[in-house]
Amino acid sequence: MAHEFDEFHDELRSVAGDLLAKDRNVDWPTLVDAGWVGLEVPEQFGGAGVTFAEVAVICEEMGRAASANSYLGSAVLAIGALKALQPSGTRDQLLADMASGAVRVAVALEPFEFVPDAEGADRILVVADGGVAEPAVTVTPQPVLDETRRLATVTADSEASEVLRFEGDPGVAVRRLHERAAVAVACDSLGLSEAMLAATVAYAKVRSQFGRPIGSFQAVKHACADMLVSISVSRQLVSAAVEAVAEDRPDAGVAVAMAKSHACSAAVDVAGKAMQLHGGIGYTWESGIHVYLKRAALNRSLFGSPADHRRQLAQRYL
Amino acid sequence: MTADLDDFRATVRAWCAEHIPADWRAAQTGVDDEEFVRFQKAWFAELHSAGYAVPHWPREWGGGMSVAEQVVLYQELAARDAPRLVLAFVSIHHAASTLLAAGTDEQRRRHLPAILDGEIWVQGFSEPEAGSDLASLRTTARRVGDSYIVSGQKLWASGGKHADWCLLLARTDPDAPKRKGISYFLLDMTTPGVEVRPIRNAIGDSHFCEVFLNDVSIPAANLVGAENAGWQVAQSTLGAERGLTMLELAERLGNAGFRWLVQACPLDDPVVADQLAQFEIEITGLRGLCRKMVEGNEAGTAGPADASIVKLYYSELLQRLTDFGAEIGGLPAHTVLAKPMSSGWESGSWLLDFIGSWEWTIPGGSSEIQRTIIAERGLGLPREPSVA
Repeated sequence: MAHEFDEFHDELRSVAGDLLAKDRNVDWPTLVDAGWVGLEVPEQFGGAGVTFAEVAVICEEMGRAASANSYLGSAVLAIGALKALQPSGTRDQLLADMASGAVRVAVALEPFEFVPDAEGADRILVVADGGVAEPAVTVTPQPVLDETRRLATVTADSEASEVLRFEGDPGVAVRRLHERAAVAVACDSLGLSEAMLAATVAYAKVRSQFGRPIGSFQAVKHACADMLVSISVSRQLVSAAVEAVAEDRPDAGVAVAMAKSHACSAAVDVAGKAMQLHGGIGYTWESGIHVYLKRAALNRSLFGSPADHRRQLAQRYL
Repeated sequence: MTADLDDFRATVRAWCAEHIPADWRAAQTGVDDEEFVRFQKAWFAELHSAGYAVPHWPREWGGGMSVAEQVVLYQELAARDAPRLVLAFVSIHHAASTLLAAGTDEQRRRHLPAILDGEIWVQGFSEPEAGSDLASLRTTARRVGDSYIVSGQKLWASGGKHADWCLLLARTDPDAPKRKGISYFLLDMTTPGVEVRPIRNAIGDSHFCEVFLNDVSIPAANLVGAENAGWQVAQSTLGAERGLTMLELAERLGNAGFRWLVQACPLDDPVVADQLAQFEIEITGLRGLCRKMVEGNEAGTAGPADASIVKLYYSELLQRLTDFGAEIGGLPAHTVLAKPMSSGWESGSWLLDFIGSWEWTIPGGSSEIQRTIIAERGLGLPREPSVA
């Protein structure tokens, strides 16, 4: 059933790939103009009215390009949080303003020490019991080794006057927001893994030692094959998780935990293998492999470590 | 003998307590290059004044410690978390073992005392097109009167910008088979035509350098060994990476490295505890392997693949252990952006040490090359086409 969108996804992927390849840093207006911020915003508020499945395509391309932008915090999470709220004037206006690019919103959900894209956001919504509030906050940047991400500590300085309520069970809504965050990061890791495999295969074909391309040595060939096998498993798990989140399935958490744990662990291994197979060049700053390895390592720790997600899965055996 | 060693251990321990700067890690975190060099030279001088800087050298040149004593020395330095001799590494190991094995008396007299006074050496072996396949190097040296004129480009010269001298491989016979046309030189880095450009590495340091050689004149007296016999001489240089250097690294991993991992871990988590125990087992095995290799080198009983087994196991264990530290450290581990330069690979910054661990799995014979050596030289399996 998801296949009716295949063509649309391919086109989205190709356009995104081209645009993100131009520059590592992509500013907010560019994301808005590309239509990616408003993908999930209902058409009546100026968005495209499509689903998380399309957002996931963009997340994957963000990883492939190791793009530095505020899509995760200000589109994936912010739009997701707003859409989970009961309709209200404030909420609807925010959705419209985000789709048009008038404001950039960031959403603080736990852990509040590491909130993506809060720095420089026009407004910061804090996820609290039962809903979302907008208290006065202090945003303290938390520089991390991965220079493609912006994380910050968000502390509330005062009580918020208004709390926008979640639709339905607030516990479920917050959990779904976390699932959305986790699967978005898993998509990112999947994309960056594929980029690392592609770069390694291309290099192994042109780099010669001992009078032959290094890709002709089994040590290199087998390592590349292992990367592909691991990525193939990641893709299956990530696709299933994206579908579960897009369709709001009650048991989406299982698929998400599997995808986040596997894809984010595998990405660190794949990027590490890419560095290894590029040899000395791979260890240089200039090669850029380190950018991917650092991003893969950060992704692994963002929104639940592999061990956290596995622990959650294991709860079901009891 | 054992009682003597116990006394020696107590002596080293007392010396460490008095001489290792208490706060050196904090003081050396994020410092500039100048301060790193100053600190390294000062620490070298301090160790040397106690007789601990070059214990592996022959007595006549300032060393003469027994292997058993050296093992104790490195164990104690590691256990007391002494700074590592990073800057002088190539000087005291590679340069010294080359000069001792193949240098002339004049070359030894000129350089071994100078090294003890702080002369810094760099290794000029690899090239852009000669990495794993080192023997295909293209830098040329042609004899003109009493000199050789050298041109080419060297890569991954660690510490190149601080080096006074360079261990250089260049091709003196372009027509001979690859390994038979290479000669070994001592190059004064202040010679006109030598240009050093730092290369920034994956963790942002710039200790690797490119060295450009443009019609550089090297006196024929600075040839080590016979002309075209450089490949054999280079084996003694590379041989220096075996033995006690690995034992020191294994001891450091087993001390500061493992200690901090335990401190960083939630020990009440059975999965984590299991993993820690596994690391302890592997480190214990590694330390045993290193001691066996040192004894084997001394007794002349080392197997042809022993050094490769140790290098492969150390580097991959280091990578797995720092990876685990990075994973357990979670997001806070990503906020540590600088490490003490003189620490080595047990700096306390899991992420930087993890990324930095490729500095062990790639250079000095990559893991792929080591596995091939182990299979071919160690197990006698048929050789891969055109691979040494």
